[in-house]
Amino acid sequence: MNFFIKKLIIVIPTLYIAWTVVFVTLNIIPGDPVNLMLGGRPASEEVRENVRKNLGLDKPVAERYVSFLINATKGDLGKSYLTRQPVTKMIKENMMPTIQLSIGGLIFGVFFGVFFGIIAGTKPNSMRDTFAMVIALCGISLPSFWIGMMLIFIFGTTLGWVPIVGEGFVSLILPSISVGLFFAGGMARLTRSSLVDVLNQDYIRTAKSKGLSTYNIILKHSLRNAMIPPVTLLGIQFGLLITGAVITEEVFARPGLGQLLLQAILAKDIPLVQALVVYMTAVYIFLNLIVDFTYGIIDPRIRLERKSA
Amino acid sequence: MRKLIKYFLGIATLTFSFSFFNTAYSLDLVFSEDRPDLRTLDPRITQSRHEEMLIVNIFDQLIAADSNGNHYPGLAKKWDVSSDGLEYTFHLRDDVTFHDGTKFNAAAVKATFDSIVDPETGSQGAVDILGPYASTEVIDEYTAKVVFNRRYGSALTAFTETELSIVSPTALEKLGNEGFGMAPVGTGPFKFKNWEANKKVELVRNDDYNWAPEYMDGSGPSQVSTLTYRLIKDTSTRVAALEAGEVHIAELVPPLDMRRFDASGDLKTITGTVSGLPYAAFLNTTVGVFQDINVRKAFFHSLDRVKMTNDLFFGYAEAAFGPISSSTPSYWKGNEDYYQYDVAGAEALLEEAGWKMGSDGVREKNGEKLTVFFPCLLEPDTCVAIQGYANKVGFDVNVEVVMKARQDELIFANGYDMLVIRWVSLDPGVLIIPFHSRNIPEPGKFKFNWARYANSGLDQLLEDAESAETQETKDDLYMQIQKHIMDQAIFLAIHDQVQTVAYSPDLEGVRFANGNWQLRMYDVRNK
Repeated sequence: MNFFIKKLIIVIPTLYIAWTVVFVTLNIIPGDPVNLMLGGRPASEEVRENVRKNLGLDKPVAERYVSFLINATKGDLGKSYLTRQPVTKMIKENMMPTIQLSIGGLIFGVFFGVFFGIIAGTKPNSMRDTFAMVIALCGISLPSFWIGMMLIFIFGTTLGWVPIVGEGFVSLILPSISVGLFFAGGMARLTRSSLVDVLNQDYIRTAKSKGLSTYNIILKHSLRNAMIPPVTLLGIQFGLLITGAVITEEVFARPGLGQLLLQAILAKDIPLVQALVVYMTAVYIFLNLIVDFTYGIIDPRIRLERKSA
Repeated sequence: MRKLIKYFLGIATLTFSFSFFNTAYSLDLVFSEDRPDLRTLDPRITQSRHEEMLIVNIFDQLIAADSNGNHYPGLAKKWDVSSDGLEYTFHLRDDVTFHDGTKFNAAAVKATFDSIVDPETGSQGAVDILGPYASTEVIDEYTAKVVFNRRYGSALTAFTETELSIVSPTALEKLGNEGFGMAPVGTGPFKFKNWEANKKVELVRNDDYNWAPEYMDGSGPSQVSTLTYRLIKDTSTRVAALEAGEVHIAELVPPLDMRRFDASGDLKTITGTVSGLPYAAFLNTTVGVFQDINVRKAFFHSLDRVKMTNDLFFGYAEAAFGPISSSTPSYWKGNEDYYQYDVAGAEALLEEAGWKMGSDGVREKNGEKLTVFFPCLLEPDTCVAIQGYANKVGFDVNVEVVMKARQDELIFANGYDMLVIRWVSLDPGVLIIPFHSRNIPEPGKFKFNWARYANSGLDQLLEDAESAETQETKDDLYMQIQKHIMDQAIFLAIHDQVQTVAYSPDLEGVRFANGNWQLRMYDVRNK
């Protein structure tokens, strides 16, 4: 338990530093939020000054920082410059679609990643190993916008099996494959190499000599021990997904945190960027905790080591 | 493992059955947008043409206007203008109600206009369009008098603008400025229903609507029961969804796809020439090689704008020649006689200005190269085409594709030779913004005279035109203004802005709103 408390103590300063870095960076880089918001449209100077005043941007940077900070400690992360909606509301609205896509991608990625990893890892250097690894390589290296457009072309336009921008569960299939393919590629490669290592261990030879079935050896004895590296990868990649998949969101016209962050950065919508960065940092820390926790389940020795440490 | 396989097979079957359901869609209209970031649907606040795409269907204006800019009675049955041009008296319809049941009357007109000029509202467009507004007087329940501080030549056009839509005063009071923008209440043919952030906005038919302007085909409520605006930023996805029949109308369709649809007849298309400033480049008259008028003229002559536009738009946009597009009121035909494509002429002008051809194909003068720095914010392909043409007569054009933030910095620092622009505007009065000398940008002050051209004669013409008494004087003044800008070769028009729309062949009655950008959905019906 000590271990988790230690980790939690680090969370608050980490969040504060991330939040401050965003504020400072966005105030240093060129670009005026008011002009960016009004775009190239012919708004008069009076309009620009009035918008600036309404957003509180006429106040000095230091004053804005302090008032941001005071409000943040009260749990109020401020309002977006662009929409004038509370940033927490905007994040909430975009969070569900992102979580759905992340879980869809995760399921697809883990299923196919582990599947191809086993196919390849149980018989290294065979034809089926090569075949599975070529597919994994494609998953990693093909750009997601291309995969997205191809999926739309094949399954949406040509075959008409799934809606391109439809509603509900079915509309999640193509985007999930699109993000999941990359995921699956990495998982497959890592599962394979890890499995190859484990299968060469003495205890597997022992299991074989006891006359256990191949199925039993792979699923019960090898896979569990081979899963530590893939689970680490899973944590990192899920962290990437949950903070938004900009390109997939754009290609499939899905709302999500990736698009929200991109728009916010381009418009220098400082309160929104800060809130998103805090959210994303928190998610990363949380996922890391989960991954650490999972190690203990997969391999009880890790739990013991922690206790003795 | 077997369980997992079964599970996935289950999903596959589910997919099939769902797509089956989808083929039997209702008569709902779906529209796709190119921007994922709608911010407000409050006509008083927005200045985004994308947000106005929805707003035109939710609200009405005092004066209605068709896509050619002709005026018709709208929420006002008729109007009188006082002889000094300061007072506009509107005689309002007495049979109109807002979507929330509030009665439309003179008090609503006053509440709308007064709130626009209130700084608290934070209006980004309407307050400029309302110009020298002083006040609104409620003469009686259905008569409102709008008073201006000085003569305002663009007033009647202003009252047709989407930004000056009349909003429900009770909804405004109840929801506040921010809430109203998320749940707008107007008198238009469609009512706001629902908004899913970054995804879609749903409107439903206003069953009480019985005040359609006379230029519309229909009367009474629209035949469209639900309007869903899907936000699809990615162009290829937008077109794919349209072709798959998932959306019925799509805007900003690439010209190549427009050509394909027209050839196959699978989808119908309409193209609107947007009024306002065409896609054009300001040439900076204060720094670099464009300080010399002959160099500017040579640059103009080096471009074959007709061929270039045709190569880029496949016939779906016309080359532009003047400071305002050909569909804008008071457009002067004389613009088209200026600066024809003439390589020999361009070279002669450059020779005369002392720029001699160097061995590398770039002209030189006193050891200095004929270099042009061209930060390009809009349409990179067009910027590169310009670069190619100018290079043939010895210009070395450095195109840098920039984001808005970078362009702003360059504007403040006067660090560019040319910059591109395009605007939607219903009135030539917009010219005062990019050409009056008071609008030359300064560090920290974002303004639009990017040619940085200062001329008191032009300033006077622009001011006079703004308060012109008659249409004839107005036309004449804007003719002189356009001629002045052309003579000085400071604004290089390239092509008209177009709005390319494709839609299902089962539909008819799709029409542009005034300005030729937004679509009015009221008349849309099944064939």
